[in-house]
Amino acid sequence: MGFSIWVWRLGSVGGRLLSLPPLSFIMYAAIFFLLKRKSLVLVFHFICKLRMIAMATGVAAGTSNFHFGGIRCKGQSCQQASLVSSLTFNGCIQRELSWSFGVSRFLRFQRFNFSHSPVSENWKSLRTVPVLSCLRDGSVKYFDFSVIGSGVAGLCYALEVAKHGTVAVITKAEPHESNTNYAQGGVSAVLCPSDSVESHMQDTIVAGAYLCDDETVRVVCTEGPDRIRELIAIGASFDRGGDGNLHLAREGGHSHHRIVHAADMTGREIERALLEAVVSDPNISVFEHHFAIDLLTTLDGPHAVCHGVDTLNVETQEVVRFISKVTLLASGGAGHIYPSTTNPLVATGDGMAMAHRAQAVISNMEFVQFHPTALADEGLPIKPKKTRENSFLITEAVRGDGGILYNLGMERFMPLYDERAELAPRDVVARSIDDQLKKRNEKYVLLDISHKPTEKILSHFPNIAAECLKYGLDITSQPIPVVPAAHYMCGGVRAGLQGETNVRGLYVAGEVACTGLHGANRLASNSLLEALVFARRAVQPSIDHKKSTSIDLSASNWWTRTVVPKSLGCNVMHNILRRTKEVRKELQSIMWRYVGIVRSTTSLQTAEWRIDELEAEWETYLFEHGWEQTFVGLEACEMRNLFCCAKLVVSSALARHESRGLHYMVDFPHVEENKRLPTIILPSLVNCTWSSRQLHKLPVC
Amino acid sequence: MARNNLGRIFASIADLSAPPKLSPPLVGSSNSVSRLIRSSSSTRQENSPVKEPGETVKSNQESEEIVDDQEDENEEDTGDFVNKDTGEVGGPRGPEPTRYGDWERNGRCYDF
Repeated sequence: MGFSIWVWRLGSVGGRLLSLPPLSFIMYAAIFFLLKRKSLVLVFHFICKLRMIAMATGVAAGTSNFHFGGIRCKGQSCQQASLVSSLTFNGCIQRELSWSFGVSRFLRFQRFNFSHSPVSENWKSLRTVPVLSCLRDGSVKYFDFSVIGSGVAGLCYALEVAKHGTVAVITKAEPHESNTNYAQGGVSAVLCPSDSVESHMQDTIVAGAYLCDDETVRVVCTEGPDRIRELIAIGASFDRGGDGNLHLAREGGHSHHRIVHAADMTGREIERALLEAVVSDPNISVFEHHFAIDLLTTLDGPHAVCHGVDTLNVETQEVVRFISKVTLLASGGAGHIYPSTTNPLVATGDGMAMAHRAQAVISNMEFVQFHPTALADEGLPIKPKKTRENSFLITEAVRGDGGILYNLGMERFMPLYDERAELAPRDVVARSIDDQLKKRNEKYVLLDISHKPTEKILSHFPNIAAECLKYGLDITSQPIPVVPAAHYMCGGVRAGLQGETNVRGLYVAGEVACTGLHGANRLASNSLLEALVFARRAVQPSIDHKKSTSIDLSASNWWTRTVVPKSLGCNVMHNILRRTKEVRKELQSIMWRYVGIVRSTTSLQTAEWRIDELEAEWETYLFEHGWEQTFVGLEACEMRNLFCCAKLVVSSALARHESRGLHYMVDFPHVEENKRLPTIILPSLVNCTWSSRQLHKLPVC
Repeated sequence: MARNNLGRIFASIADLSAPPKLSPPLVGSSNSVSRLIRSSSSTRQENSPVKEPGETVKSNQESEEIVDDQEDENEEDTGDFVNKDTGEVGGPRGPEPTRYGDWERNGRCYDF
C-alpha cells in the first residue's frame, strides 16, 4: 500500500514535469524501462495517442467549463448538445482507455527504479524528434497578435488590440477581398427610439428557428448600437435621413426599421473605413497574399494551445511562420464547397478546416444559407468566357413585381409547393426549385418577367437587364435562367461569449465562428453585426491572455517545416493543378447534388462515401506524382480545406434528424422539439487523410 | 446628335480608364465609369432592337427618356440625392431596396 502511494507520488511529480497525467506517466516509464531505448519511436507514438485520448476526453468532459449555450442546464430543459463523432472515434476511446487503465493497475504493484533525469532527457530528445529540417525555407515572424482574415471582424479586432501590442493581419489575397466587401446590404442594430433590444432579439430567435443561444442573442443585440457608433467614429459614413439621424431600412424578418446602410455598398464602405485606419496604424502590419496553411498548436495536458500560424506567401512562394501569443481566426465562410455561390473566390473554408485540424470544436455546419435565384450561367445563350467568380443574385423583387418561375418544360411549378406560389418565403422557393432540379435532373429553372411592360422592367432592374444582355439574353422578351446559390454559413468554429474556443490562445469572430446567434437560419443583416460585436468582445480576453503568455523564441522549431514543392517539375505541377481543379468541380457537384437544399439520409450517406473516395483518389494522385506530406501550394491547400469543410457539413447534416431552418430532410420533414440542440463535432482521433491532419505533425495512424 | 456627343464623351472617359494597374480609389472610379459606359451602351443596344419590330414612336420616345434620365442620374452620382418618400440623404435612387425583404439594387440582390 505504502509502495503504491510512493509510485503514485513519483508518477504525479514526473507527470507534472512533462505535463502528463500521473497514470500515463507511470505507464510511459514502465514501457520505457521494459522496452529500453531502442523503442523510443514506439514510446513516442504511445505518448501521442494517449495525449490525444486524454485531450479528447478532456474536451468531452470539460466542455462544461466552456460557455456553450447548448450544454448549460437551464430552467425548464437541460440541454445537452448532441455530440457527433464518427464511430471510429468512439470505439478508439473505449479501447485505448481500457488498455491504459488495465496496464496502470498492473504496474502499480510492481517495483521500479527510476529517476527523473533520464526520462526528462529523453523527453527533450523525444520533443525534437519531429523536427526534420532547419530554418532554410522561409522565415519566422514574431507578433503579439495574429489576425487571420481582413474582413470586418479581423480589422475591427486588429484596430483595438493594436493599442496593446504588435499585430499581424494575414490575408490571402488583397485586404479588401473578403465576404464583407460583398455584403452590400446593411448592419442591423436598435437605433430607433421606438425599437427595442427585445424586439431585435425576438426577430433573431424566430428567424433562427429557436436554435439560437439566448445569451448570445441578448449580448449581440445590446452591444450592436455601440459598435455602429464606433464605426462612425472611425470614419464609415452611413446614409442619413433629412433630420440628420441615421436612415434605417427595414429588411425581411425584422419587425422594425433597423438596418443601417451606406447607399448600396455598406460592406464596402465599412471595409474602406477600417482599412484606412489599419493602414495608418503603426502597430499593425498587413501581410497580403499570405495564405494560412495550419495553426501551430501544442498540447498542454488535455488542452490544445495555439501559438501562431504557418502561412505561404503566394507571391514569393515562401513559407512564413508567424509565432504569436494570441491568434484571431476571422477567415470567413466556405461558399466554394458549392458550385454556385455568392462568395468571392477566397471563401474556401480555410479557417474552419484549420481549426478542426487544430482540435477546435465545430458546430452547426449543416445550416448553409442559399438564395433561390442566382443567374445560371449554363442557361445564357452566350456562355461567359471565364467562370463567374461569384453569383449574380436576382432579387426577390422580380418575383414580387410579377415574375413567374417555370421549369425547363415550361411548367409553372410553384403552385404545387405553396399556395402563395412565387411569393412564398425564400426558403420555400429555394426548396421547390431544388426539388424540381433534382426530379428533372436539370441545371436551372426559368424566371420570366417578360410579360410585364418593358419600361418597368428596365427601370426597376437595369442591372439584370444589362448583365443578361452582355450574354445575349433580353429579359424583356425571354426568361432568365436561375439556380440557387450558397450564400452564408451559419455554422463554424464553436465560440463562447468572448469569442474564445477550446483551443487556448485561439479566438474566432465573424462568419467562421458559430456563436449561437444565427441558430438554424440567419436573420438578414445580422452577419456584419455579429462580426463587429464578437471582434470587440474578443479584445479584452486576448489582451489578458497576451499579458500572461511569453513567447519562447525557440518555439518555431517545435513543428516541422512545411515546404514549397520546388523539386517537382513544371509539367508535374501543371498536371497536379489540372487534376486539383477537376477534383474541386467534382466535389462541388457532389455537394450540390447530395448535400444541397433538400437532403435525405441516403443522399447524405452517398455524399459521405463519394467524398471519401474522391479525396483518397486525389491524394493518391498527388503522392504518386511526388507530392510530399509537408508540401504546400495554394490550390492543393485550398482543396484540402474544401474537403474538410465538405465532410464537416455532411456529418453535421447526417446527425440532425429533423428539419429546422435551413436544414431540410425529406426523411424527417418536421421540427422536433427534443432535437432543438446545436450539432457539435469534436476533433477526431483518426486523421489518416492529408486534409485532416496538420502538415507539421507526423502521421499517427 | 446628342448621342454622338455622348459617344465622344464616353470614348474619352474610356481612354482615361485605359491604364491597367490602378490604385484602389482609382479602380473604384473606373468601375463606376465602366458601369456607366456599359449601362448606357446597353440601353442604346436595347433601343435598336426595340425600334425594329414596328414599335410606336411614343414608346421610342419613352425609352429615349429613360436613357436620358439614367444619363442624368449617372452624371449626378456625386451630388446628394434626397429621397422624397423617406427623406433619406445620399441613398439609392429608384424603388426602395428592401421592398421585398432583401437588399436589392437595380435588380441585383446583395443580401437577404
